[in-house]
Amino acid sequence: MAKSLMIVDDSATMRKIIMRTVRMSGLEFDQPQEAGNGKEAIEKLKTVSVDIILCDLNMPEMGGLEMVKKVREMPACNNIKIVMVSTESSQELIDGVIAGGANGFITKPFTPERFLEKLSPFMN
Amino acid sequence: MVSELCLSEALLSAAKEVFETMIFMELAESSDAEQKIEGDALLGLITFLGTYPPPPDGVCTNDGVKTGNENNIEGVMTICSGMPCAKAIAANMLGIDGGENLSETEICDAIGEVTNMVMGSVKSRIQGSISNIAVSIPTVTTGYELHYSPCEGASKVLIKVNIDDKYITELSLSYRQRVHNNK
Repeated sequence: MAKSLMIVDDSATMRKIIMRTVRMSGLEFDQPQEAGNGKEAIEKLKTVSVDIILCDLNMPEMGGLEMVKKVREMPACNNIKIVMVSTESSQELIDGVIAGGANGFITKPFTPERFLEKLSPFMN
Repeated sequence: MVSELCLSEALLSAAKEVFETMIFMELAESSDAEQKIEGDALLGLITFLGTYPPPPDGVCTNDGVKTGNENNIEGVMTICSGMPCAKAIAANMLGIDGGENLSETEICDAIGEVTNMVMGSVKSRIQGSISNIAVSIPTVTTGYELHYSPCEGASKVLIKVNIDDKYITELSLSYRQRVHNNK
């Protein structure tokens, strides 16, 4: 059964770019969802089932870190894999994001191969 | 202060990485200093703060141990392209043939993302020289024959690059010591 994906980023253009890059990696997802910020993502998660979330860090209303915290507080969403996608590259910040509940981190600029590497473990 | 050569190399290699990885366009430094961007253009701009010199090993300003230099550097990075180049960049990022059907919002959004990613790559390259770099949200301005001039007292690096041997784009990085170090 195909996995389901949600892309969370305040830039509509970046959401399209991420989706395109995911497709280029060869990974296939069923009916990808989109959200413009963490708050919108949390609302959608109340009604749709998602396996993997790709999420930006810095967004208005609710950023990525806060969204991860909220998702981990939702019992129905405990198994969702969350991978942050950001221009940030400091190891200290990445470690903090993982400690905060994310399952992975992809730094921009990214390649299809990078998505394949990071998301493949979650596809089975 | 950080050498202009160091900043120039960081800016060029950061831009090459972004353009070749995300935009699938070749970027090379132009040998023609007289080339200008003419007509309608887009200017992506992002500001940053940093600390120079970096605090000594073992001393972390985030722990409240002050060295007295926190956020003593302020700077701006810009990317300026003509409209045809900006359309091509946006079209390539989105995987669309040509850029004529893209809205101005999509083109500006794409240039903003490019500016953000180049600054992120610059940041990772210079963090040994300028630490605690905090970056703003990028802004994109559209206009005719746009040009960015740094403020008084700022050092500036300006690099003209050829994109796919077809378009000219200007990259700049300017910075100065902050006059008033607000705490």
